[in-house]
Amino acid sequence: MKISLHPLFPGLLLVLLALARPWLDASMALHMVLELPLLAALGALAARAAVAGRRAAIARPYAAVMLLAAVLLISIWMLPLALDLAVVHAWVSVAKALAMLLAGALLWLAWRSAGLMLQAFLMLSWGWMNITAGILYQEAPAQLCSVYLSEQQWTAGAGLIALSGCALTLWLLDAMILPALRDPG
Amino acid sequence: MPRSAAAPPMLARQGRALPTRCAALAQRLRWLWAPSTLALLLVGAALALGAVLTRGFRVVTSDGARRVDLERNPRPLPALELVDSLGRPFQLAPARAADRAADGRAADKAAAFGAGAASGASAAPVATIITLAYTSCTEICRTTASGQAYLQEELRRRGLAGRVRQLTISFDPQRDTPPVLLQYGRRLGADYAGWRMATLARAADLPRLLAAFEVVLLPDGLGGYVHNGAYFLADADGMLLRAYDLNRPDQLLADLLPR
Repeated sequence: MKISLHPLFPGLLLVLLALARPWLDASMALHMVLELPLLAALGALAARAAVAGRRAAIARPYAAVMLLAAVLLISIWMLPLALDLAVVHAWVSVAKALAMLLAGALLWLAWRSAGLMLQAFLMLSWGWMNITAGILYQEAPAQLCSVYLSEQQWTAGAGLIALSGCALTLWLLDAMILPALRDPG
Repeated sequence: MPRSAAAPPMLARQGRALPTRCAALAQRLRWLWAPSTLALLLVGAALALGAVLTRGFRVVTSDGARRVDLERNPRPLPALELVDSLGRPFQLAPARAADRAADGRAADKAAAFGAGAASGASAAPVATIITLAYTSCTEICRTTASGQAYLQEELRRRGLAGRVRQLTISFDPQRDTPPVLLQYGRRLGADYAGWRMATLARAADLPRLLAAFEVVLLPDGLGGYVHNGAYFLADADGMLLRAYDLNRPDQLLADLLPR
């Protein structure tokens, strides 16, 4: 990609996201399917602005560890318990934002040098985790979050399934199907 | 002259080959040390954080965490003044102790919970089932209310009615005045002798009430609240012993029955 961004651009977007927090946090689906991925995307954008072309040199020996760290940072916020804490306590909300920004940055830095095998492992395990969680949220008989009514769980679950479904499809197209079509030999 | 030099060239080469090859392999894999140590540290840290958050990988919800926390560490009820549906003030915490004093019976700590319910020796109330609700709620509070009604019926049927009391505390003191609570109790078929409806005497105490029971209350923008709920069990000494999931009043009942 050759689009160059002003270095302050991700920060500006983060401020906008912070202003939208009351609206995003009010719904379980928006919180999980929009706010968290947007934070990760901003982290990736910030990392891109910060390291410019030196990505490969930074990541090479640590790609797997960086992806592992990103997955762990993302997984915390799959716990209904953690979502509650993030809505109720401001400092947990800040920790959540930092964790997701860091996860996004790590993903962006490590992605290319990780290679197709690691990418596939990450995409499939993350997608599988999201779809399983989405199904569990939809089927849960009780209220999972103190801050969200149980009616919201169905939408949040559906959102998680849709999000990971789209991400998996796009990744499959980009990494597997299109290259195969382009280069049939 | 060293002996190795005298050895046949074949043997000498083999003798050196293994360590050399190992060294070469180690050299080639040396870059792995730092990343794999870091990975192990990360996984360790994640497991530690996960264990704390999920109370040893037992729960994933805040309500579950509260249940486990109370099981491990029962805590005293807060000293709060409540007012019941007849407009009479009473204390949340020392209510049990006061009841006992009125009954003229000596405090028997062993009879506080379970054992007391089982012994049948003392007719004094030994436990209180507490729920938090607000009367205009159309969601969770209906579940808690029907759970309390179910418990009232079961306690009566099993002869525990005199020894286990029920208390519904409204966290909406502005709207849930004593007359409103009285209406609410009638609608639920609450028998006042065993099941009291109450609210805070002072609205300013609300944060303390919510903190004590770990109830999160968020305005839903439609005049109601988004909140969580549970059945709480307190003993005669005013200790909060247990919390039970909203869909499991049967577990609470099982804990009250003689073992």
